[in-house]
Amino acid sequence: MNIVTRKLIAKELYVNRWFVAGGAASGVISILLAATGKMGFNVGALTWLTAIIATGVMLGIYGVMNERKEHALQFVLSLPLSIADYVRAKMLGLSACFLVMWLVSSGAALLLVYWKESIPDGIAPYTVLLCLFMLANFMVVLCGSIHAQSEALTSAVIVVTNMGVSIFMFTVAPLPGIEKYMWGPTPVWTSTFWTVLGCELAVLVVAFTLPFFLAARRRDFL
Amino acid sequence: MNDKHIEMRGVRKNFRFFTLDEVSLELEPGQIMGFVGPNGAGKSTTLRLMMGMITPDAGEIRVLGHEIPRAQAVAKRDIGFVSAEMRLLPHATLGWHMEFMRSIYPEWDGSYAATLVKRFNLRPAQNARSLSLGEHVKATLLLALARRPRLLILDEPTTGLDPVARHEVISELMDVLRDESRSILFSSHNTVDVERISDTITFIDRGRIVESGDKEQFLDRWRRIHVQLPPGATLPELPNIVKREADGHFITLITNQYSDGLKNLAGPHVTQVQRMNLEEIFVANVVYNRETRGQ
Amino acid sequence: MLCIYSMYSGIHISQTDARPMYLQIMEQIRARIAAGDWPPGKELPSIRALAAGLNVSVITIKRAYLDLETEGVIVTRHGKGSFVADVNGLAGELKQEQLAGHLEQAAEIGRLLGLTEDELAARLRRAQRNLEKKS
Repeated sequence: MNIVTRKLIAKELYVNRWFVAGGAASGVISILLAATGKMGFNVGALTWLTAIIATGVMLGIYGVMNERKEHALQFVLSLPLSIADYVRAKMLGLSACFLVMWLVSSGAALLLVYWKESIPDGIAPYTVLLCLFMLANFMVVLCGSIHAQSEALTSAVIVVTNMGVSIFMFTVAPLPGIEKYMWGPTPVWTSTFWTVLGCELAVLVVAFTLPFFLAARRRDFL
Repeated sequence: MNDKHIEMRGVRKNFRFFTLDEVSLELEPGQIMGFVGPNGAGKSTTLRLMMGMITPDAGEIRVLGHEIPRAQAVAKRDIGFVSAEMRLLPHATLGWHMEFMRSIYPEWDGSYAATLVKRFNLRPAQNARSLSLGEHVKATLLLALARRPRLLILDEPTTGLDPVARHEVISELMDVLRDESRSILFSSHNTVDVERISDTITFIDRGRIVESGDKEQFLDRWRRIHVQLPPGATLPELPNIVKREADGHFITLITNQYSDGLKNLAGPHVTQVQRMNLEEIFVANVVYNRETRGQ
Repeated sequence: MLCIYSMYSGIHISQTDARPMYLQIMEQIRARIAAGDWPPGKELPSIRALAAGLNVSVITIKRAYLDLETEGVIVTRHGKGSFVADVNGLAGELKQEQLAGHLEQAAEIGRLLGLTEDELAARLRRAQRNLEKKS
């Protein structure tokens, strides 16, 4: 990876530092809130989801589009890099930004499940699946945003994938392999769990790698 | 070993409402080329093609010996690109950009950069968002010049600049040419500047190169011939007349291939032969070119 | 913004002047040689240095130098640079050319004014006397 790509990744982290820090802080605060009892749990869970979604949206839209909007794209493209290098830097940079926030928030969530006695450990597998879903969700948004030529298209991608969060919660939670053990005292890693996990990872990998083959080959970047 | 700085051959690029067609262009080291044409002629498109930001549909492009767009990352190590619509990264200061460039380009000359900051009247602590158009142009020029690149590709580099700033920029560009291994290609609407500092001039109109060549020859070839015919006299048929205007007995001819022979052919009633400045040549050339192409 | 003052020994190139830039440069160099400011054998600035100093294209400076060399006013030694021709009386020669040019113009204007040869000569004598009075 050449120095320009590395510098651009560092730039991405620098530029988006407030989103990342804010998102991570919101995630942690939400978890703390969720630890304060039943009411707190519902509110905290909701704000936790919102924080992750919001950070993902900001990075996915603003992070990708802001150079184009602010006419700084020509400046970046005049650097010694190819279009493929640029796409790579964007993908890696914005993914790194999200990962920081996501690791903190997911870690906090899992910590809550294992540490708080009033929350059954059996919910751990579902929590893992939910966390990973959020990551895959972001990756799809990022992938769509990088390929989309217009803001309208990007917004459509975001709306659709966020509907996916609700759909996920309503379809995965009631799955027999999940629901049965969700309220138990110990986590049970059923085959259903592994199947869903596998699907999520597959989506994640495809969404992450697609730009390296598609957008990177784009002939016209302006 | 081919050492031209820019070579474009038969380049074609189709857009929905516009086509760049059969564009061929050459820039030698040690030269400065002025690239002129009306708005929408395809100047910016041509420059972006050279930088690999767009890919041609046909034709070849080589910049500093590298195939474009395939080897653009290597080529751009030694190319400085400035365009009037280019903006710096909005979140950062000019100082941040200078540091950014320093870390990417080993040839970055910090003391020259500092000199340019003063000369261009810029402030490193200023955030990119608050820069005016003219300041943006000067800032991006600074970032390009301080790297001392072998080739500078500039799209309207004097946009938004007051006369003093323009003079400073022109001086810096001419300083680049002290080194005969460096070259500049710049597009501009400022025909006065183009006429003054260019070694070669390329005219483009509606996606096609109209003419390209030595500036001094251009200025030598074009003339306005004034004729005052006495009653009953006529003007003989003359070759290479690009425009003819008659106002009673007063006839004005514009030619693009002037010679003393032509003047003699025109006869004894020629009152004056005037040189034309680049702006006048530009307009006459474009109009003539459109007429001959049936547009 | 059309007569740009340069740091370069007071040579001014005007873009509103009807004469092409290369001729203006040649004239100003000839004037300096004629005045003795640039003595025989003096090295001229390099083409690129003068171009950068005057903000005028290299090709224009090249043309001026080439034509000056054809006239015998300067000499270019390959790889070494250009020098004021070390010909005896070059300054004087250039001054003679200047005088011839001025006299032609005077004759032309005299004709337009309808002066006779004697009237024109008288005017010349008066001018010479005025010059002596001043010095």
